[in-house]
Amino acid sequence: MKARVILFAALLLLLVASSASAAELEIGAKAPGFSLVSAVDGKNVSFKPGDGKLSVVVFTCNQCPYAKAFEGRLNDLGRSYAAKGVKFYAVNSNDDVQYSEETLPNMKARASSKKYPFPYLKDGNSAIAKAYGARVTPHVFVVDGKGVVRYRGYIDDDAKVEAREDTALTNALDALLARKQVATASTKAFGCSIKWKKS
Amino acid sequence: MVNDFRFPSALPIITRMSRLLFSLLVFVGLTAATTAERLVEVPDLAAFRKLAPQTAPLRVLNVWATWCVPCVEEMPDLQRVDDSFASKDVEFVGISLDDALPGDRAKHKKKVLSFLDGRKIKFRNVYYTGKLNRLQDDLRFEGEIPVTFIFDRQGKELWRHQGKIDRQEMVRVIRNLRTKGKG
Repeated sequence: MKARVILFAALLLLLVASSASAAELEIGAKAPGFSLVSAVDGKNVSFKPGDGKLSVVVFTCNQCPYAKAFEGRLNDLGRSYAAKGVKFYAVNSNDDVQYSEETLPNMKARASSKKYPFPYLKDGNSAIAKAYGARVTPHVFVVDGKGVVRYRGYIDDDAKVEAREDTALTNALDALLARKQVATASTKAFGCSIKWKKS
Repeated sequence: MVNDFRFPSALPIITRMSRLLFSLLVFVGLTAATTAERLVEVPDLAAFRKLAPQTAPLRVLNVWATWCVPCVEEMPDLQRVDDSFASKDVEFVGISLDDALPGDRAKHKKKVLSFLDGRKIKFRNVYYTGKLNRLQDDLRFEGEIPVTFIFDRQGKELWRHQGKIDRQEMVRVIRNLRTKGKG
């Protein structure tokens, strides 16, 4: 009987883990930590929520034109906010078996040629994207020093600089750095669907 | 002495050139009209409904872009489903979100038309030029494309599918909706 219960629980866990996209982390939820391999130097980089640092976890990838349209913007933000003590983690959760552009060597090539100022990490089995409930690239989560999600959604409401009306990510970071409430804590991220690793 | 020399009359040449120019203008005009009609620009959902009014009891609406891999992959299947009904009960319409990317709009539109021609997509498509988050709110979708909806004549959503469609499932859904009298 006990074995059956354990088997059932294991199957249930497997079912939950293998489902494509989970619910997006709520504002106020504890952010999951991770330790993922960095494409550039092959070393593991760990994100430990609650480490006292304001952090941005951004799900992005190599092949999505919409994510690439935000690449320059993200690089600028990574550089300017690093000076204010904000840590950026770029996470690639796309399946690199189905999509060869998403392999570590190709990620390394992209991060190097575009001079990413933050680690570009491989989430090989898409587990971290599932844990955050990320759906698309780019999709960002801002985590405060206590490890709590304070913003989720898009970087800006438009990839075209001239059409931009809501710079939600910078607004959230500026508010949190000033120890103020984030006015718009949740927006709808838009982009290419994450190409889930097939289990 | 009578000077018999006359310059050749320019009239026939001018007439011929006028005719040629006229034909060229008609051709350019018709091409432009066809292009505009095939890929009319819509700034929001209200304009979309006005410029592309629903004529059939059921409307299948597909939101897509040429830069979206699963969108491009499913497009021929959508055309096949449309072909399999070929009735006035169901109409297919696509909303291209190619304008989401920076760059020249005319080039984006040319790419969309070239894609539609290349894949022999015959159902109507429009080109969305408005804010993405507004469309996401209006259609209540999270931000992943492709996303496909079926609406009744009153604009009520009857079905939706996030991600690539399953052709057979979609045929079943449309048949069921027609049987139930929704279409």
